[in-house]
Amino acid sequence: MNAPHADMAQPQLIRARSDVPFYVAFGILGSTYVFLIIAMLIADLRFTTGPHLLQALSSPEIRYSIKLSLISCTITTILSLWVGVPLGYLLSRFQFPGKVAVDAILDIPIVLPPLVIGLSLLILFQTPFFRALDTLFPITYAVPSVILAQFSVACAFAVRTMRITFDQINPRGEQVALTLGCSRSQAFWMVVLPEARRGILTAATLAWARSLGEFGPILIFSGATRMRTEVLSTTVFLELSVGNIEAAVAVSLLMIAAAVIVLTLLRVFGSERTFGKAFEP
Amino acid sequence: MLRLFHSGRINGAWLAFLGSIVVLGLLIAMLAWPAGSEPSKTPLLVYCAAGLMTSVTAIAKEYEAESGVPIHLNFGGSQTLLAEFEINKRGDLYLPADNSYLGMARKKDLIAEVIPLASMNVMLAVKKGNPKGIKVLDDLLKEGVKLSQTNPDAAAVGKLTREKMEKLGRWEELKKHTTVFKGTVNDVAADIKIGSVDAGFVWDVFLIQYPDLEKIPIPELDGVSAKMSVAVLKSSANATAALRFARYLSARDKGLKEFERNGFKPLSGDTWTGTPELRLMSGAMLRPAIEETIIAFEQREGCRVTRVYNGCGILVAQMKSGQHPDAYFACDSTFMTQVSDLFLDSTEISTNQLVIIVKKGNPRNIHGLKDLGQANLKIGVGHEQQCALGALTKNMLETAGRYNVVAKNVKVQSPTGDMLVNQLRTGSLDAVIAYASNMTHNKDELEAIGIDIDCATATQPYAVGKESGNAQLALRLLDAIKSGASKERFVKNGFHWQGAPK
Repeated sequence: MNAPHADMAQPQLIRARSDVPFYVAFGILGSTYVFLIIAMLIADLRFTTGPHLLQALSSPEIRYSIKLSLISCTITTILSLWVGVPLGYLLSRFQFPGKVAVDAILDIPIVLPPLVIGLSLLILFQTPFFRALDTLFPITYAVPSVILAQFSVACAFAVRTMRITFDQINPRGEQVALTLGCSRSQAFWMVVLPEARRGILTAATLAWARSLGEFGPILIFSGATRMRTEVLSTTVFLELSVGNIEAAVAVSLLMIAAAVIVLTLLRVFGSERTFGKAFEP
Repeated sequence: MLRLFHSGRINGAWLAFLGSIVVLGLLIAMLAWPAGSEPSKTPLLVYCAAGLMTSVTAIAKEYEAESGVPIHLNFGGSQTLLAEFEINKRGDLYLPADNSYLGMARKKDLIAEVIPLASMNVMLAVKKGNPKGIKVLDDLLKEGVKLSQTNPDAAAVGKLTREKMEKLGRWEELKKHTTVFKGTVNDVAADIKIGSVDAGFVWDVFLIQYPDLEKIPIPELDGVSAKMSVAVLKSSANATAALRFARYLSARDKGLKEFERNGFKPLSGDTWTGTPELRLMSGAMLRPAIEETIIAFEQREGCRVTRVYNGCGILVAQMKSGQHPDAYFACDSTFMTQVSDLFLDSTEISTNQLVIIVKKGNPRNIHGLKDLGQANLKIGVGHEQQCALGALTKNMLETAGRYNVVAKNVKVQSPTGDMLVNQLRTGSLDAVIAYASNMTHNKDELEAIGIDIDCATATQPYAVGKESGNAQLALRLLDAIKSGASKERFVKNGFHWQGAPK
């Protein structure tokens, strides 16, 4: 707010220095990263050809893994939001005993190497209760394990995002609603949540992207069984391990394409115009 | 109660939430859809080294089509997979890239049967065209040549390379000139293919998977090879089905062909049949000791063992006339030597003592060989040509210098010790010379008198036929016979346990 004023107030005293060096410096620094990503993509493209991509797409195993990836990531995202929104809200609005501990616990999935999450899940499912559950409803090495592995990591990101979102929403709105006779629940659904839609969108994006990239826990907890628990990241690993670098790269590119499409769709549907309307009270 | 309607409209946030439930339900339904059409047969879970994916996937597909049993292949690094099933104690088969992992699994008591599959050699590989002109091992030490290796502690290739190079005294300098150590051999091959290094040590089978690689033959790596096998996991709830697929994988006309197509050197495998039939010739004396073991073996393997029990002399005669069994369990090593050209190395399982058997109370007062010459004594012995018992008895009596004295009292020669014992029990004989094991089931009626001569001991060896199409199966039967449960049966039946390989 101050800078333009200062600029305008003293145009004659100090000759206005050009902003160009500033933009150039920032532009160069910022663009290195963008260039790096683009360069990697180009290198990837050089390592594969159209036929490779078609071949990858025509393989039933890879088609299955695309389908499983997209569906499991979406399920994980929804589940993460179901947990992330209430948990983020509680953490943001209320003081309760053990809150510091809960906060620290929620950091664990973010800090730990994903491999450790997979290993821990695998060990968890050897305890009597979960073993019994597993026999009743197969999870380990079955599709639900993929979702559970993704959820274990992705949800932490959703919770963090939602908490920050609610932190940034001024509690005044809900307080006014409460004084006007709303219950907590009504205030939440009609006042807080519509305001949090951008945060929800970010949380969803993060959770979805995290899930798509998930590899370590799935390899350990779900195995790499073709046509069963093979997701795209596993496909890349499997193709790489038989020396099929072209196919690995082709699948990587498919992953990038899928991610770009889904994230763009999410942004379009989540834009003020469409998403905003849905949330309008 | 929450008001869903606000100024006549459904609350948008609620709508979004309800929508998410519907979407979730739909997605789960989409995932569950193919599960319903899965075949009803119990699937097999196979932990398979990622490097073997090409071969094993093809074999599994073929087997699924043939048998209808779904095979779930779980790929990963050999070591990682080992850790997985060690923790979750489930799954049916383990197929690591090198037998050393099976050793580890065995130590942890995680595996049961092991069936050999194929071997592969370590080779020095460069990019096709050999741009750096690498010809001998010393070229790797040149300035500007980048070498990639697998970590010797993490992967089999690295381990084998280090062992050999250490023996040649070349390891330290090679290690110093190695640009990078990778976790798996696939990473090394990928390094060479992409061009980030110039050379690396990989499996020779990679030449087929990676057509961009070229082999540089160096004498230092001759004979440096890894053997691969498939193992049945102890955790398998479906061991018979697991063994059936393991047999398919290792069959010379099925799985091994596919391995060979992918560059592996197949090891000797059995011929494929869904329910294999093993022909076992065995000395009659061994029947009570091995019968239960064989029945259990048949059930677990899903195979049939056709047993031919008889006196060993008769069995040898049958073999010499052209009947070649898959396995032969002889009453005494002398009867193995006679047909040793038909069999691979034999394993001594047990020994059995020759004794004089009399009726309880010892009415004729016999205390050793010297008493067998008394007048009016009716003695039974084994047939000198037909069985090991007879041959051993003759040999023993001759050694003791009592052959002629005893011979005049011999009223009958029988082909098996059991027949002699029966004749003794009916009262037609006063004493018989037979194995200690022959009287284990009639201990209440009979009495044994020891013979204190070295050569009064028979040794029972087991051997697998050289030409057998079921050699691996016969070897697994040997493993079953060598097991602890089998040992108990031998001891219970009056045998002394040898059980150790020759």
